[in-house]
Amino acid sequence: MISPRTAAAALALAVLASGCDLVEVNDRPNPNGPALEDILNNPTEAAIANVAVGVESSARTGLGTYLADVGVIGREYYRISPSDPRLTQDLLGGGSSVLDNNTFYLLTPWISRYRTIRNANTMLVALDANETLPDAETSAARGFAQTWIAYQYLLNLNLTFENGIRFIEPGEDAAGEVVGYDEALDRIAALFDEGAQNLASGSEEFFFETTIGQDVPQTVAGYRQINRALAARVDAYREDWQGVLDALDGSFIDSEAPLTIGAYHVFSTGAGDVQNPFFFALGGGGEGVLAQPGFVDDIEDGDTRISKVEERETARTFDGLTSKFDTDVYETSVSPIPIVRNAELVLLRAEANAQLGDRAAAVQDVNVIRNNASLSDYAGDSLIDEILRQRRYELYAEGHRWIDLRRYDRLGTLPIDREGDDVFRQFPIPETENV
Amino acid sequence: MILSTNRAALVVAFVLLPALASAQTVSGTVTDASSGQPIPGATVVVLASTIGVRTDVDGGYEIELPPGQRRLEYSFVGYRTETVTVEPGQTVVDVALEEDLLGLDEVVVTGLGTSVKRSNSAISVETISARELSEVTTPQTLDGALNGKITGAVVNSNSGAPGGGINIRLRGITTINGNSQPLYVVDGVIVSNDAVSNGTNAVSEASGGGNASSQDNPVSRIADLPAEDIESIEVLKGPSAAAIYGARASNGVVVIRTKSGAAGRTEVSLSQTVGVASIQRTLGSRQFTAATAEATYGPAGLAAFNAAGGRTFDLEEELFGNDGLLLTTNLSVSGGNDRTQFYVSGIVKDDEGIVAGTGYEKQSGRINLTHRLSDLFEVDANANYVRSVANRGITGNDNSGATFGVGLLATPSFVDLRPGADGEFPDNPFNAANPLQTRDLATIEETNNRFFGSGKATVNLLTSATQSLQLIGVGGVDYYALDQANLFPVQLQFEPDDELPGTSSLGRTTNLNTNVQLLAVHAYAPEGRDLSFTTQAGLTAFDQEFDNVLTVSRGLIPDQQNLNLASSIQTNQNRFFQNDRALFAQEEVSYRDAVIATAGLRVERSSANGDVSDYYAYPKAGLALNLTNLGVLEGGAVDLFKLRAAFGQTGNTAPFGSKFTTFGTSTIASNAGLVLEGRRGFAGIEPERATEFEGGLDLTLFGGRVNLEATAYTKVVDNLILDRQVEPSSGFTIETFNGGQLRNNGVELGLSLVPVSTDLVQWISRTSFWANDAEITELTVPPFQAIGGGFGNTLGSIRIEEGRSPTQIVGTDEDGEVVALGDVSPDFQMSFFNDIAIARRLRLTVFGHWKKGGDNINLTELLSDLLGTSPDFDEDNDGDGTADGLQRLDASGARRFVQNASYFKLREVGLYYDVAPSLFGPLAGGLRTLRVGVSANNLFTITPYKSYDPEVSNFGSSPVASGVEVAPFPSSRTFNVHVRVGL
Repeated sequence: MISPRTAAAALALAVLASGCDLVEVNDRPNPNGPALEDILNNPTEAAIANVAVGVESSARTGLGTYLADVGVIGREYYRISPSDPRLTQDLLGGGSSVLDNNTFYLLTPWISRYRTIRNANTMLVALDANETLPDAETSAARGFAQTWIAYQYLLNLNLTFENGIRFIEPGEDAAGEVVGYDEALDRIAALFDEGAQNLASGSEEFFFETTIGQDVPQTVAGYRQINRALAARVDAYREDWQGVLDALDGSFIDSEAPLTIGAYHVFSTGAGDVQNPFFFALGGGGEGVLAQPGFVDDIEDGDTRISKVEERETARTFDGLTSKFDTDVYETSVSPIPIVRNAELVLLRAEANAQLGDRAAAVQDVNVIRNNASLSDYAGDSLIDEILRQRRYELYAEGHRWIDLRRYDRLGTLPIDREGDDVFRQFPIPETENV
Repeated sequence: MILSTNRAALVVAFVLLPALASAQTVSGTVTDASSGQPIPGATVVVLASTIGVRTDVDGGYEIELPPGQRRLEYSFVGYRTETVTVEPGQTVVDVALEEDLLGLDEVVVTGLGTSVKRSNSAISVETISARELSEVTTPQTLDGALNGKITGAVVNSNSGAPGGGINIRLRGITTINGNSQPLYVVDGVIVSNDAVSNGTNAVSEASGGGNASSQDNPVSRIADLPAEDIESIEVLKGPSAAAIYGARASNGVVVIRTKSGAAGRTEVSLSQTVGVASIQRTLGSRQFTAATAEATYGPAGLAAFNAAGGRTFDLEEELFGNDGLLLTTNLSVSGGNDRTQFYVSGIVKDDEGIVAGTGYEKQSGRINLTHRLSDLFEVDANANYVRSVANRGITGNDNSGATFGVGLLATPSFVDLRPGADGEFPDNPFNAANPLQTRDLATIEETNNRFFGSGKATVNLLTSATQSLQLIGVGGVDYYALDQANLFPVQLQFEPDDELPGTSSLGRTTNLNTNVQLLAVHAYAPEGRDLSFTTQAGLTAFDQEFDNVLTVSRGLIPDQQNLNLASSIQTNQNRFFQNDRALFAQEEVSYRDAVIATAGLRVERSSANGDVSDYYAYPKAGLALNLTNLGVLEGGAVDLFKLRAAFGQTGNTAPFGSKFTTFGTSTIASNAGLVLEGRRGFAGIEPERATEFEGGLDLTLFGGRVNLEATAYTKVVDNLILDRQVEPSSGFTIETFNGGQLRNNGVELGLSLVPVSTDLVQWISRTSFWANDAEITELTVPPFQAIGGGFGNTLGSIRIEEGRSPTQIVGTDEDGEVVALGDVSPDFQMSFFNDIAIARRLRLTVFGHWKKGGDNINLTELLSDLLGTSPDFDEDNDGDGTADGLQRLDASGARRFVQNASYFKLREVGLYYDVAPSLFGPLAGGLRTLRVGVSANNLFTITPYKSYDPEVSNFGSSPVASGVEVAPFPSSRTFNVHVRVGL
């Protein structure tokens, strides 16, 4: 027989055995990753290196959507999705569709770019707080971060154009007011310049691994060349033609070298890595990218760049859009996506020289591109038209045509494939920006 | 067993006290009024004391009345309670108890250690008996069996896939971003109701488009608990009832008690169900002409149409037309003696789905034991092992064409996707996948091994004629190990598309919930007074550890599934935990069972809170006035007239991770990088707090033949945990914070009748009506799209906005302006439960459910229009010469997707016959009972909604965002034949 006393004692013992666990709660950290505070409070070289790698890695997020946006509106191709009508309706202005300010095609790239900026800004704050890294290493890392920040702003500005973008300072919680297109471009150019200076005064090598250079050295100097190449693009957008030529001087431009050398987002099937988000199987009936028929209709005879599209067995029709060709620029699931490459630089130099009245220099560069595509030398007299045409074919599916025609105010020349379609000029600012 | 400890205490108290026998002794027999059979185990207590006994196997009892006490109360589960005043000198009292047809005298939970008779309760508590839950028809899972049976709940099946997956909201919306599902407590132990995504996103890529949810309709894990083992379910719908469960109880609490044995003869019950499941509703597909084939699909369409030579092919029938065999076998043995009672059951279920290859299997074994070591010490132990296997196929939204639903919608009827003579499936020329090939060759299987165990020790420390004190310790574990293995072999049409043909994924999840609860219950009934007091105080500790590892391998070596036999291997691990600690105390005071007042307080802290050492307090109070027992409104037609009012507060802790700003990893070229995740943490996060006032009346008339229960409530949730979209230029997309307020006002009416009660015919009818109106009364941030709330304004989305319903649907109108287009929440719901027994042998049960109002966003129709396969594409209802399908496509705005999802469903029908023992013939020796029956589930649905089922949710159990439909798994109708043998 168990007495009440024994029973009570047994229960009391059980309580004691489990101890304070029955009333105490421990403050446990998140097991799923390091906290932001950990890195800001303890900005070690290794931690900053990880964040730097994260900047290059996260810059690839949302790229597939970005390329869909600019390429579809720029009538380079149709991005077909059997389960999402908006890629063939909203982006082409089908019926009375307009660009939505709260939908993935805008939010995904916009958010992704600002996330990379946040990561790079976190790097800058951590670099300020770090007391052990040599100045030259800090300077190189700062230049790396600023180059990326500037490039990410540029991509978002490409979407919203005259609606502008917002800038956020390192360490700040919120971005500033919306800045209009011209001022935003000026600030982006200034950021590239500051980044270039920091890279110039930096160490020889970064204290972290970089991945973007292809036949451009993976060094601090190589990064500065990439920075200058992008700065040249910004100057072209600003119509600062002399600025384009000056920036190109510091870049990796080389009309003797393959047109493919440059900076690329790289992909792999390795653990934790991602694959090319704009790679699609050819000839299929599901998700895919059909070349807008004009690409083939307008191409010059003998242009080897016809290989950028692949003929299907039968034409595909989807949502009132028909094409017999798939876009075939990214041939494998790990094909790199260009950030900026030699072909664009040569064409930028041609454009700047043409604008500055140096026809001979411009034609020489245009011919580099034409000859590379097995076309004869240029003999016409509408040089800017020819440069835009070469940009269309040379930089097909790399995200340029819509922006090029917009800056020359030629969006009206783009084809309308279905009755009622529209060619949009720019995306709205996302609703979630509350502006 | 925790529910009846108070009464148990009273019973035990008597045994200790033979020495007090200076007073009158009363004895007698308790019988069933209609059959005259004795009732063993009935409870006899002396009112206003703590003295009580149970009747023996012959229904006999003997009890001693203390001086001055003359009133005896007789009760037994399923019978109306009788109160008898003993005349001076009377020594024999025989009592015949009437059946409690309407459940008027059942006990309901009022504390963690106490319960009270329904007629004394200050709150409205919904009780679902085993009979309503699992004996009308055989439910596949517990969650499905609840649908329509809870007054005051919006219950929504997320899809028709086998194995469950349901969204339950009790008394409206209580959270925008927190966990929205009720707390499930089984035999005193909080069990897991996690929903774990199954990894099919690796091929569906559903999260890669407009919404980051994987949209794979995961199983709600409460589905593991076999419905057949459940004795009763009590649903504590609002904070006034659920406050005793504190910081995780804002969404209500579902208190489940499993079956237990009774002293006496050992009862063996064997039941077998055989059924068939088939699609409830088909949509059909467009019939083409050469012209429409070409117009829709271009030259390729025309070529394929001509190649078909006029033949059409019903892919919907081929895909969803399987007649699934349903088999359930249940063996239970229960019994025991005075000191030990047991219940042992084994359940084997093997259900096929309406898609060939899909299905749900379950094997369960349970032992429930109760043992009284001595008058002082009693232990209960419950153990349940369940293995379940679900093959749910791949349905719902995707961005790859791989799901059955999208594949079906993308395929015109002139394309035949069946395998050729060589067994090879043709490629689908109009989609990335051939859904028949995917169905036959892919494996999508989740296997869960789960153990529920609980133990309880009760110590009767003190017992006297006026007092009792019990110490109760409860401990429990709920552990599961879930394997979600998917194989998409290299042969599948879509597999080579990513250049890594063949995908194998394995999700491994383990979850451990542990519970400890210690409490003391003191009952005090002063001699000669009409007052009684029940006091309880104690502490609870709850811990959860969840660990999920998902590995996806692509580029498989053909015919292999092992994760390492691949060229690309991606692994992701996600862990979370929660530690909650609470102290509580409660006091109940009863005056002659006429005025019953309750007050209680629980204080609780949690690892989910920003400051883990802070206690948050959850008070409650209730008052019931039983006017009949007070002497007002006594006699005549009125059996009971009770007014009640209650108040309570509960919390809802923040979802895991809300307080952290964390880096995730992102690898590039074999370098591991850190990338800040989109969520900005809020270090000061607090629980949401729901405050409810509830009032109502209970009226019983005509000898228990009519019962009306009416309740009105207002529930205000403050300090909401809001996941707002922050300005993305900050680099973050989501931030959790506390703010804002929402309010629910609602009414619940239940009318129970016994219209006919004769020896020949007995008819029980219960009709319920409930309505809830929710509004966001304060929002400190700009309006935002609810997480998981659709796909943006052009397709309709659920928007959180001050002054509006939290489930409002907004979207662009014809002019591109964003306007309100509808609301997911229904206007009201009604349920109709009718049970007719003839000659006590033939029993017909019919259960219907009407949901009036409430809209869905029907994106299935959008996709079928876009893909050119809508069955009514070529109709021209407005006679303007343009096909309706084209017209819908050209119409701008989201209005056309927002469709009325009202329905009436005949959810369950059962007809059973108890074979008379005289017909047992040669079996008469061994057979005790024999029941045969037929039943049907979802016999028919009436709805204006244009898809498979108005009950749908592409986003699973998200807090507010149900009602979005994208190519779901269609729901099924089942027919069953039942045999049950009692030995």
